[in-house]
Amino acid sequence: MRDHTKTNRTVLALLGLVLLGGGLLVFAGGTDIYRRWNLTPPAGWPLTASRDVLVPSDQTRWTDMGWWWPAAIAALALLLLLALAWLCAQCRRPPRRLTVADSSADSSEEAVTVSNHALSDAVTADLTVLPGVRSGKVRFYGPSTHPRTRIRLELGTGTGPEQIVAGLHGAVERARRSAGWDSLPTHVALSVARHRPHRVE
Amino acid sequence: MTYSTPHALPGHDGGPPPSRPATTHARVPGPAQRSGPTEDRPRRPWSARRIPACLAAALVVLAAGALLFEVVWVRTGHRATAWWATLAAELAARPLGNLWILAGAAVAAALGLWLVILALTPGLRRQLPLRVPADGHGQTRAVLERKGAALLLRDAAMRVPGVSTARVRVRRHRATVRAGVGFRDTADVKDDLTDALRRAERDQLALARPPRLRVRVRRSRK
Repeated sequence: MRDHTKTNRTVLALLGLVLLGGGLLVFAGGTDIYRRWNLTPPAGWPLTASRDVLVPSDQTRWTDMGWWWPAAIAALALLLLLALAWLCAQCRRPPRRLTVADSSADSSEEAVTVSNHALSDAVTADLTVLPGVRSGKVRFYGPSTHPRTRIRLELGTGTGPEQIVAGLHGAVERARRSAGWDSLPTHVALSVARHRPHRVE
Repeated sequence: MTYSTPHALPGHDGGPPPSRPATTHARVPGPAQRSGPTEDRPRRPWSARRIPACLAAALVVLAAGALLFEVVWVRTGHRATAWWATLAAELAARPLGNLWILAGAAVAAALGLWLVILALTPGLRRQLPLRVPADGHGQTRAVLERKGAALLLRDAAMRVPGVSTARVRVRRHRATVRAGVGFRDTADVKDDLTDALRRAERDQLALARPPRLRVRVRRSRK
């Protein structure tokens, strides 16, 4: 599963533009801006005067047509399905098993897999022995043949990110090589354990 | 054979499976190469905007579901539910100049603007990107939380002789250090402190875009 950053941002922007446009349209009509500023809206422009109503009760332009109700139902159902799909895409379920590279090249039935949990634990153990690392959490995401990894590390006192990043690189590299992947995109988030200031006398 | 279809499926139509990993491979080093000249100054990662997306999707699902239910309910010969009848009557009766309609429109416009801003800004403001040694393989990006950077800077400040208290606030482009001086001349301490902090910021923190330092010292009360 991908990160969906582009999809999310595009759909959010579209929704935002629709809301913004609709809100401004109604607001402009409601406050009589066109009349006050002597603007002439283009012909057929909706909602121009503050005594207009949002949904006139005699708005039955299409409701008598045979296609109107099936079309309305189909459109709503489609919208519902799309929104459901978008919602479901948000839960980022990590794959339970990761496929070791090159094992699936010859025959897809004999792919060698490693449990996500086992590999995560191994990398975590590898990382927490680094000097200065208090605790760590490693997760593999994405498609099982080309996963990405996210690492959270909490640093203790006396170390800086500079030293950690070097050691971390080794651990990730070992995991990558042991599974035979030719790339392992890694995102590392470092935090520092809270501690009291200690003075130098 | 049927049970193995999910496994065998990717291999079936020959063309896509070999090309798909190939395209992802080709794409994977792409950003790294493009960011080659700016490798030492990575930008901060963009948030996936998962929570707003979840909320927006849930709201759209609710709204579309309710409307769909209502349409089908009415078309199958039932009477419209009470809330729908009320809502339709209100929308048909209230003119645009009505306070409720105006307030609703203003809220919708503000929400829309907020969504557009969310979609166009990177987010993750509390994470400071770190310099990561360049490697040939997978791209590594690292971030340090602002709070962590503040703690590390505070530790560095406390190691300077003469500093008895230090408070650090890190923002995106500026780190403010307020130190209380117990002994030594405050001007000397300030110089040492600025040096030490600058060194810590450069060497220990490895920040890709080190925030500008602002150092304030004053004699601490005894």
